[in-house]
Amino acid sequence: MRRLLPLAALVLVAPLSLSALDWPVGRTIVTATFGEDRTDHFHNGIDIGGGEQDVQPFLPGELVFRYEENSDYTSLPRGVGSFVVVHHADDIETVYCHLKRGTIDPRRTTYGARDRIGVMGDTGYSEGTHLHFIVRDEQSASYVNPLSLLPAIADAQAPVIRRVALAIGDQVRTLAPGAIVPSGRGTVLAEIYDPRADVKFLWPMAPYGVRLSVDGKEIARVSFDALQVVEGRMVLRGTRLASRDVYAADGMMRCGEVDLRPGTSHLLLTVRDFAGNETSRELPFTVRD
Amino acid sequence: MRRKKPASGFFIAVVVIILYFILFPHPLGRELVARPAWTLSLPAAESLPPGGRSPDSPAEAGRPDALQRPDALQRPDALQRPDALQRPDASERPDALQRPAAFQLGDTFGYVGPSGRLVHVEKTLFRVALSEAGFVNYTRIGSDWVLRDPAGERLFSFAGRGYPMASGDGARVFVVKTDLTGLQEVDRSGEVLWNRDFPSMLTSVSIEGDHLLAGLMDGSLELLDRTGAAVFTHATSGSRIPVILAAAVSSDGSRLACLCGIDPQVLTVLGKKGASFAETSRTLLSAEFRKEVRLLFSPDSRYLVLEGDGAAGLADPGSRELSWTPLGGSLTGVSFLGRARAAALLARGESSWRLTIAAPLSSVLCAASFRATAAFLGSVDGQILLGIDGRLLRVDVEAM
Repeated sequence: MRRLLPLAALVLVAPLSLSALDWPVGRTIVTATFGEDRTDHFHNGIDIGGGEQDVQPFLPGELVFRYEENSDYTSLPRGVGSFVVVHHADDIETVYCHLKRGTIDPRRTTYGARDRIGVMGDTGYSEGTHLHFIVRDEQSASYVNPLSLLPAIADAQAPVIRRVALAIGDQVRTLAPGAIVPSGRGTVLAEIYDPRADVKFLWPMAPYGVRLSVDGKEIARVSFDALQVVEGRMVLRGTRLASRDVYAADGMMRCGEVDLRPGTSHLLLTVRDFAGNETSRELPFTVRD
Repeated sequence: MRRKKPASGFFIAVVVIILYFILFPHPLGRELVARPAWTLSLPAAESLPPGGRSPDSPAEAGRPDALQRPDALQRPDALQRPDALQRPDASERPDALQRPAAFQLGDTFGYVGPSGRLVHVEKTLFRVALSEAGFVNYTRIGSDWVLRDPAGERLFSFAGRGYPMASGDGARVFVVKTDLTGLQEVDRSGEVLWNRDFPSMLTSVSIEGDHLLAGLMDGSLELLDRTGAAVFTHATSGSRIPVILAAAVSSDGSRLACLCGIDPQVLTVLGKKGASFAETSRTLLSAEFRKEVRLLFSPDSRYLVLEGDGAAGLADPGSRELSWTPLGGSLTGVSFLGRARAAALLARGESSWRLTIAAPLSSVLCAASFRATAAFLGSVDGQILLGIDGRLLRVDVEAM
C-alpha cells in the first residue's frame, strides 16, 4: 500500500494544477486500451491516434532515454521505434513511442508542459501513425493504466459482450440462456469489445473491468489498473494472471472458473469501460451429469 | 535517382590509410605493419534481387586495383614480398579461420571470406539480425521469420510477436517483444525455449555464449543463463536517476560492466565472486548520455571499450585503469586485432569518418580520416574489415 502512495498523491494533486497533467497530444482518439491482448503479452499502455501532431509531456519532466530510429546505436531491435522516456516527480516515468523519425531534439534534456517531445509517427512495429503512451510508477515497478491519470474524455458507448462461452476440457460451447451443460469444472470465456464513437473500426479494445458472478456469488473480478512483473512474468498487479491466463488463444477473455454442479445456475457477467459505462449479460443454464 | 559514387574517393581513402600506417608506425615492441590484403566492390543495393545474391566466383580478391599504389608506398618490408597480398587461400586453413565475416554497409549486408570471396550479399528489408553463423533479414511488420546461413540458405523458421535478434556467434536466436518488456529464445526447430518479462523496459542487451546480460530502464541488470533464469540481478545506485545506458558481459562470463545513471553517470564493473558477482570498480564519468552507447569487452575479456563523447575509453578492469582516445566523432564500430593486441575504432564526425588504431591503455598507433556516405568496421580472420561506400577492404595489421 505504501508503494501506491506517490501515485495516489499524483492523482490527488492533478486537479489542483489542471494545466500540469495533460494528454500528450491535442487530438486524442484512443485506439487501443491498456491490458489488451498482444498474443503473448498485455498492451502496457494506450494507443492514441488523431493524425500526425506534436507530442508533449503529460507533466513537466526530464529526459531519461531516447532512441532515434536509423541513427542512434542500439544493441537490440526496438519495436517501439523512435521513442523518448521522461522522468517526472514522484518517480513517475512516461514513454512516448513510434515518434516520427528526426523529430526528437537531441539537445533537449528537460521538458516543460508545452515543450515538444517529438511528432506522432509510425516508426518501429507500427501499422499507422499513432502514439503508444506508457506510464510507469517506478516505486511500485508497475505499468499504470494511463487513463487513470489523464483527464477524462467523453465516452457514452457501453462495452459489448458479443459472445459468452464455456470451456470444459477441450470443448468450447457457446452459452445461451437455457443451455444445458455437463457437470465439471469450466472456464467462462467472453468475446468483449469496448467500442468508441470516434474509432471507426472494430478493434477488440479491452474493457476496464470484468466481474463474473454465479448464483449471486462473485467468483472472479479483473481490473486493468496496472501491470507488474512477478518472477519473470508480466501479470495484472495484485494477481498472478499473465496475458495467457486472461486471454484464450482466439482472443476471448477468460472471465473466471466455475464448478458446474447438477441443477440450475444463473451466471451474471458485467463489463465496465473506463468511463463507467457498464454492460451485463445474465445467463440461466442447467447443469446435468 | 541513383548517385554514382566516385571510385577516386575510395582509393584516396585507401592511400591515406596506407600512408599513415607506413609513415607513422608507432612502436609496439615490434614494428607495426599494416597492409591491404584485398578490396572488392559490392553490387548496388538497388540491383540486388529479393533474397540476395551469393556469387560463386571470388569477387575481386587480389585484384589489381587493390594493389595499384604508387611505388613509393611499396615498402621494402612485408608489402614488397611477392606474396604479401596473396594470402594463403582460406581452404588451406583450419575451419575456424575459414568462417566468412559478416558485414553491414548502408542498406546492404552479407558475408565475405577471409580471402575476399563474396559469399553472400543482400539488401536489408527493414533490419537484419546479423551474426557470424547466419542472419534474419526482416520486414517492419511481421511475425514469421527465417534464419539463413551465410550463404543465404534457409536454416529454420520461427514466429513471435516482436523482432528477431541473434547472438554475435549466431548460436542463439531470440525474439524481442515489440514493447521491449520481454525476450524469448527459440531453438533450431523454432520452438520457444523460454520466455521472460522484465520489470522495466530493456535498454541494452549483451550476449556471450550461455550468458545474456539485460540492462533495464529502471537501472537494474539481469544476468540470464541458458534457460532464461536470472542467475544474478543488480540494482545500480548513487545517481539521481537510475538507468542502464549500456551493458556488457565478457566472453568468459567472468565480468559484467554497465554505464548507468544520470547525474552522475557511472561505469561499473562487476567481477565473478563465487556463484555471484561483486563490484570491482566504479568510475564516475563526466558524460551526460541519455541514450544507449557502445560498451564491449575484448574477446579475451581483458579490456573494455566504452563510447565517450567524441572519444573511446579503453579500460583494463583488472588494473582499474581507463584511458581516453579522442576520435573526432561518435564511435560507430570497434574491432579487436588479436595478434597486434590493438583495437580499431571507427568514428563518424560531422563531415568525415576516422579510423583509429590504438593499443589499450597506451597511445594511438595510427589514425586516418576519409569521406564516405556509409562506412563499416568489422573483422575478418582477426584482421580489419573496412567497408567504405559499396566497397570492402581487408587490412592486415601485424607486428613484424
